[in-house]
Amino acid sequence: MSTPTMGSETVGHLSDETVPGDEPPAKKRQVSGKSPIQIALGRLRKDKVAMTCFTIVMLFVLVAIFADVLQNLFDVTTEPGNPAQQLNPMNELLPYKGPPSGGFDPAHPFGVAPKTATDNLAVWLAGCRTSLLIASLATLVASIIGITLGLIAGFVGGVVDKAISFVIDFFLTIPFLLLALTLAPIINQRFALKPDLYEKAQLWSLVAILAFFGWMGVARLVRGEVLSLREREFILSARVIGMPTTRIMVKELLPNLVAPIVVAVSLMLPAFIAAEAGLAYLGIGITQGNSWGQTILRASNYYDDYALYFWEPLLGIVILVVALNLLGDAIRDAVDPKTRR
Amino acid sequence: MFAYIVKRLLAGLVVVVLISMAVFALFWFGPESPARPVCESKTGGKCTEERLANFEESLGYNNPIYEEYGKYVKGVFVGRELTVGTQKIDCDAPCLGYSFKNNTLVWDDLVKRMPATVSVAAGGAFLYLALGIPIGVAAARRRGSLTDKVLVSTFLVVSSVPYYLFALLAWIYCTLVFEIPVLGSSGYTPFTDNPWKWATGLLLPWLCLGLFGCTQYTRYTRGAMVEALSEDYIRTAKAKGLPASTVVYRHGLRSALVPVVTVFGIDLGVLLAGTIFTEKIFEIQGIGLWGLNAVGAKDLQVVAATALFGAVVMVVSNLLVDLVYSVLDPRVRLS
Repeated sequence: MSTPTMGSETVGHLSDETVPGDEPPAKKRQVSGKSPIQIALGRLRKDKVAMTCFTIVMLFVLVAIFADVLQNLFDVTTEPGNPAQQLNPMNELLPYKGPPSGGFDPAHPFGVAPKTATDNLAVWLAGCRTSLLIASLATLVASIIGITLGLIAGFVGGVVDKAISFVIDFFLTIPFLLLALTLAPIINQRFALKPDLYEKAQLWSLVAILAFFGWMGVARLVRGEVLSLREREFILSARVIGMPTTRIMVKELLPNLVAPIVVAVSLMLPAFIAAEAGLAYLGIGITQGNSWGQTILRASNYYDDYALYFWEPLLGIVILVVALNLLGDAIRDAVDPKTRR
Repeated sequence: MFAYIVKRLLAGLVVVVLISMAVFALFWFGPESPARPVCESKTGGKCTEERLANFEESLGYNNPIYEEYGKYVKGVFVGRELTVGTQKIDCDAPCLGYSFKNNTLVWDDLVKRMPATVSVAAGGAFLYLALGIPIGVAAARRRGSLTDKVLVSTFLVVSSVPYYLFALLAWIYCTLVFEIPVLGSSGYTPFTDNPWKWATGLLLPWLCLGLFGCTQYTRYTRGAMVEALSEDYIRTAKAKGLPASTVVYRHGLRSALVPVVTVFGIDLGVLLAGTIFTEKIFEIQGIGLWGLNAVGAKDLQVVAATALFGAVVMVVSNLLVDLVYSVLDPRVRLS
C-alpha cells in the first residue's frame, strides 16, 4: 500500500523508465516533494478502517461539543425527574412508560433511570462530554509534560538526563490504580466543603491524576528520539551558528518529533477515556456530575430487568474507545515508513 | 553482575522509600485530620472536637511528621506498640499499622489476602503465555494468510475494549444470566480447603484475564517471530534440512521470546500488585479489593500498606526481568 504515494520520492522516478501505475509520460510529470506527514495522511485516507473510525470519533466529538444543544433539542435535562409519577413502586421502581417494559416513550428516547427518573439520554450526552473533556485535557497536559521533560533529558544529557530518567522510572514503578485510588479522595476532600467548586475540582483532580501517571510514555519516547537526533548534522550546524539551546529544541528538534508524538497521543486518548470510566466505575472518579463509568456502576444491578440502562453507557465507552484505538493503530502504521501489512 | 544487582536493589529501595514517604505525607497534609475517620468510626459518628483531639493525641498526629514516619519505618523492621484510643496493641515486625475498620493488624490481613491475589494473578499470567505464544507463532508462520489477518484484527479489537467492561460482561452473562455450569460459579475458595473448588471458582476470572491479556502477547510474539524467521540463521537451519518444527521452535522462538519475557515480567508484577478490577467484579477478597474498600472507608493504614506492597512487588519484578533478560539473551550485558 505504500508504493504509490512513496513514488515521487524514489530515485526510480527520476529515471526514464515508467513505473507501473504511474502517470502516462505524455503528461508533464510533476515532481513534487511530499512531507512525511503528507505521505502518512495519504495512506490514512486510503485506509477504510481508519476513515470509519475517524468518522465515529468525530461524531462523538460533535455530540460532546453540542451536548447541551442536543439536550435542548430532545427537551431533556440531567435533573432528576418525578419518581412518584414516572416510576412504578410495585416493580422495583422501574419506569411506567418507555423501556424496559412500556415500549418507546418519545419524551425520553433512551428511557429514564430507575429510582431517580433522570433522563438517560441527557445523562448519556453529558457523560460523553465529561469523558472526552477529561481525556483530552489529560492528554494535553500529559503530552506537554512528557515532551518537555523528554526533550530536556535527551538533549541536555548528563546529570539532568540521569535525574529525569530516574523520575520516569520511578513513576513507571508506581502502581497506577493504587495511587490513583489514594490520591483521588484526598484531592476531592479538599474541595468537598465548597459545593460550588466541587464539580470543577473533581474534574481537574481527575485530569491531574491521569496526566500525572500518563506522561512517562511520551517522555521516554521523545528522549529516545532526541538522543539519536542530536548527533545529526543539522543540529550540529545549528549549534555551530550559535543557535540558543531552547531554540534548537523548539525549532529544530520538535518538528522532527511530530510523527512519534502524534502516534503516542492518539493512543493516549483512548487509554485515558477507559481509565476515567474505570475510576468512576470503582466509585472514585466523577461521583457528582455525569460520567459513563458512574452510570455503569449504578446500572450494573439492572443488567436483567433493564438491560438498556446498562448497555447505553457501556456501548458508548466501548465504541468510542475501540474506534480511537483502531484509529491510533492505523496512524501508527501510516506514520511508520517500514510498515508492510 | 553482583555489583549490578546491588546497584539495582539500592535504586529499588530508594523508590520504595520515596513511595512510602509520599503516601505518608499525602495523608498527613490531607484536607482533613487523619484521625477523623478513626474517631468517627470508634465513636459511632459522634466525633466531637474534643474526642478528635484525643484521638489525634493517641495516634501521634500531634507529633512532627518525621518523628511519626520514623516510628512507622521502625515498626516495619522491628515492630512497635500501637495505641488506638485506650487500647494498646503489640505489633510485631513487619508492622504496617492497625486497621481501625477491621480491628486487625494490617500485616496479618495482607498475608491473609495474598493467596487470593496470587491465585488470580498466577492463573491469568499463565494463560497470557499459554494462549498468547502459540497463537502468535501460528500467526507468524502463516503470515499474510487469511487466518493471520483474521486473528490479528480480532485481537486488535478485543484488546481495544476496556478490560473491566470485558470482565463485567463476562461475569454478568456467564454467572447471572445464563448460569453456565462450572464457569458460572466464580468465587474464591482457598486451595488448601478444596482444590477443585479453587480451580473452578477462579476459572472465569482466569479466562477473562487470559483472553484479554493474551491479545497483547500474540501481537508481541507474532512481531518478534516474523522478525526472527527472516534472520540468516533460520535460512541456514532450513538449508541444513532441519525439520520445520525444530527451525521454528528451537531456533526462531527462542530468540523471539526475549522481548516477550520482559513484558511478561512487568505484567506479572502489575497483576500481583493488586488485580483491583478482577477482584471487584468477581468479588474475590484479595489485596486489590481490600485496598479499594479501604479507600472508601478511609482506612489509611491499609491504603498505605497496599500502595507500599504494590511498589515492592513492582520493583522486585522489574529487577527480576532484567536478570532473566541477561540469561535469555547472551547479547545483553548488565553493567
